[in-house]
This record gives sequence, C-alpha cells and structure tokens, in this order.
Amino acid sequence: MRGLLQLFAAYGGFLLFLLLEAISITLIVQLNQRQGEIASNSYGLFTAYLDRTSDWVADYWGLKDEVVRLQSKNIKLMEQLDNARYSNAVFRDSIRQDSLQQLYTFIGANVISNSIVSTNNFLRLDKGGRQGVRPSMGVISDDGVVGIVRDTTSHFSQVMSILHSQSRINASIRGTGYFGTLTWDGKDPQFMQLNAIPRHAKFVVGDTIETNSYSHLFPTGIAIGVIKEIEEISGNNFFKVQVKLFNDMASVRYVYVVDNLLRKEIKDLEKAAND
Amino acid sequence: MTNAIPINIARFIGLLILQVMVMKPISWGWEGQVFINVIVYPLFIILLPLRTPMPAALLSAFAMGLLVDAAYNSWGVHAATSVLTAYLRPLPLKWMQPRDGYNVNHSPTKKRMGVQWFLIYASIVMAFHLFVLYNLDAFSLVFFKTILQKTLTSFPLSMFFIIIIMYIFNPED
Repeated sequence: MRGLLQLFAAYGGFLLFLLLEAISITLIVQLNQRQGEIASNSYGLFTAYLDRTSDWVADYWGLKDEVVRLQSKNIKLMEQLDNARYSNAVFRDSIRQDSLQQLYTFIGANVISNSIVSTNNFLRLDKGGRQGVRPSMGVISDDGVVGIVRDTTSHFSQVMSILHSQSRINASIRGTGYFGTLTWDGKDPQFMQLNAIPRHAKFVVGDTIETNSYSHLFPTGIAIGVIKEIEEISGNNFFKVQVKLFNDMASVRYVYVVDNLLRKEIKDLEKAAND
Repeated sequence: MTNAIPINIARFIGLLILQVMVMKPISWGWEGQVFINVIVYPLFIILLPLRTPMPAALLSAFAMGLLVDAAYNSWGVHAATSVLTAYLRPLPLKWMQPRDGYNVNHSPTKKRMGVQWFLIYASIVMAFHLFVLYNLDAFSLVFFKTILQKTLTSFPLSMFFIIIIMYIFNPED
C-alpha cells in the first residue's frame, strides 16, 4: 500500500493524465457518431491485418511439416517405381520365375549449404550417418541428379556436386542405349558435357539424357537434361555433347539420398574382380 | 498569493462564458466545415500559476474542456485536447525560461513577463492546442489537409482575441 502511494506521488501527474485522456478518448469514440465510425473502421482494419499476419506466420511454420510430409510421400512413390526394384525374372528350364525385390530406397534431406561458383562445388545436407546416409551414395532431386555423397558425420553429409571437376556420372541417351560420361567443364552451371558417345550413334539435339544402371548410384531412367549442342571433334571418334540440366543447381533445396540395398554385393563383386 | 484560487476560478467561469456565449455563435465556415472558429478558453491553461500542482492543472483543464464540449456537442474532443495541453505546458515554459528563472508564485502573464515573451509563449500553446483539437475532431490523418487549413484559419483569430483580452484586463497573476 505504501509502495502504491509512493508510486502515485512520483507518477501521479502522469497517471492522472493517462486516466483523463482515456476518459476523453472513450467519450469521443462513444458519443460522437463520426469519430466512432472512424474508430471502429480503423479497429477492423487493424484486426484484419493482425489476422492476416498470424495466418502468414502459421502458414510458414506449417510449410516445414508439409515439406517433410511430401518428401516421405514422394519416397514411397519412388520406391514403388520399377526402376527402384531389382527384377528376379529368369528363364530356367522354360519356366519363367518372376518377382521384384526392392533395390533402391530413398532418404529425404534438405540442402543446408551449396555453391556453384567454384570449379569444385560441394553441398551439405542435414542428414547423416544416423539417418542411414553413407559415403558414395547418389543424391537426386525432383528434377534430376545432384551429386554423390563424399563424407558423412552422424547428422550431416558432404556431397560432391555434379558441378565438380572430378564428377563422373554415367549417363545414356534416352531411347538409344548409347552411354557416355557426364562431366563439367567448370564454366556454366546450367550445362554439362557428355563425352564418349561414339560417332556412329544416331541422335539429335533435343534428346533427353538420363541415368543408367551401370553406376549403381542412381535408379535407371532419371532425366538429367536435354541435348543442346553436338560437337564433332576432328581426329576423335567420339562426339562431345552439351547437355542443359533440368534441375537448377543454384536453387536446389530438397533432395533424396539414394540407398542401394545391394551395394555391399556389388562392392564384393568389384573386389573379387580386381583380386 | 492566497487569492490565486479565487482569481483562477473567476477566470475559469469568465472564459467559459465568453467561449460558449460569444465565440460559439460567431464561428463560421463553408462546405459543411467550420473553418473560422475562435478558441479562447485555453487562455485559462496558459495563465495558470507556475506553481500549480500537475493534478490540479489536469483536472481543471479536463473540467474546462468537458464543459466546452457540452456546449459544442463534441464530447471529449476539447477535454482530451485541454488535458494534453495542460500536461505539456511545462515544456514551452522550460524552453522560454528567463535567465534568472521564474518566480513560482507568479503566473505567466503579459504584465509579469512582457509583451513579446507572452506573445511567443501563448502562440506556441495555442498553435499546439488548435492542431491537436482539429486532429481529434477529424480523428483520422486522412483529413490532414483540412486539419491544417482549420488550424491556420483559427489560429490568427484566436490569438487576436486573446491579445485583446490581455490588453483589456491586463491581469498581474
């Protein structure tokens, strides 16, 4: 009580001022029709603005959950595609045994850092060993190929971008079966070069380039880009093809790490062949 | 000094009657807006003794504003403005403090402080009062042009009448 009195002694003038102004403004709004209408109109505008803002904030926070939900849904669908499965179809004694077995699964991840300006570019993902990401797994986005995992920690992973001077992606021309190696010359982040396509191959500008199964990194048939230019290099038996990428590496945000379930078997085979 | 209270009560009543009986009927305007509006009652706030306690100044200003509102049928507009003017009156007084300070027993009148000093002081308070008044009357900055027009038309007339009053009565406190 004493504290209250002291407060009033110190700020009495100001408190009385606030009280009297509050009474006056209330009178203005309550008893004058014109000012009252302006006040209620302004109040309506203000609350509408508040509603819109809180709506926007809720949308924004909801978006993160939505991305995770869509990623998991996409993964489910991608895993059901034929190119994510291993076919056990075989003829033996003229009886066809056929069954499909899961070959690829996917791990959804977000890009947390990226670069495209250097000749050796890397991305960093927010998923790592704990989520099942291992070195030398492929990374794809909705629009194409992103890169190959180099290193992982328990929560993060480092991905060698396809825009890297050491990047070698096995790729085919859709519908022909001719394949070559996709590399990057370090110039334009929208274009990559497909090498080692033989001279006798028949294809035209506008054909689609896709992944093939030779690397065991990516499911077959993921579209990478489209042929923009075919160069003949004199004295060379191969074409050099300029490929315009479908995905924009500068703005890639949500990716999938490709997990080959038979990876170990392939490694063992390679090892056996090399020994 | 003991007669400061009766003097101010008399001034309160006199200015209120002058405002309501004389100045209200001569207000005049066009296009549905009152542009010529002589406001003299803030002279009461202007002339309050320097040692007036803030609560007393605020309450008397509120009462004056409310009574003017009753006559003008503009509930709260004059009251809010008067309370604000009374609350901020110490600011111009501080800016215009003479070199050897005020005698707190005095009122800031023409006779005590000189014509020029009083004119500047009254102009600051009146311009502020009128501007706030028309802002609260319009209640939206959408009408800023009208607010400024009204302030600029009312200000010289109100000041003219205030100066006449000061010359007629020439009060010491």
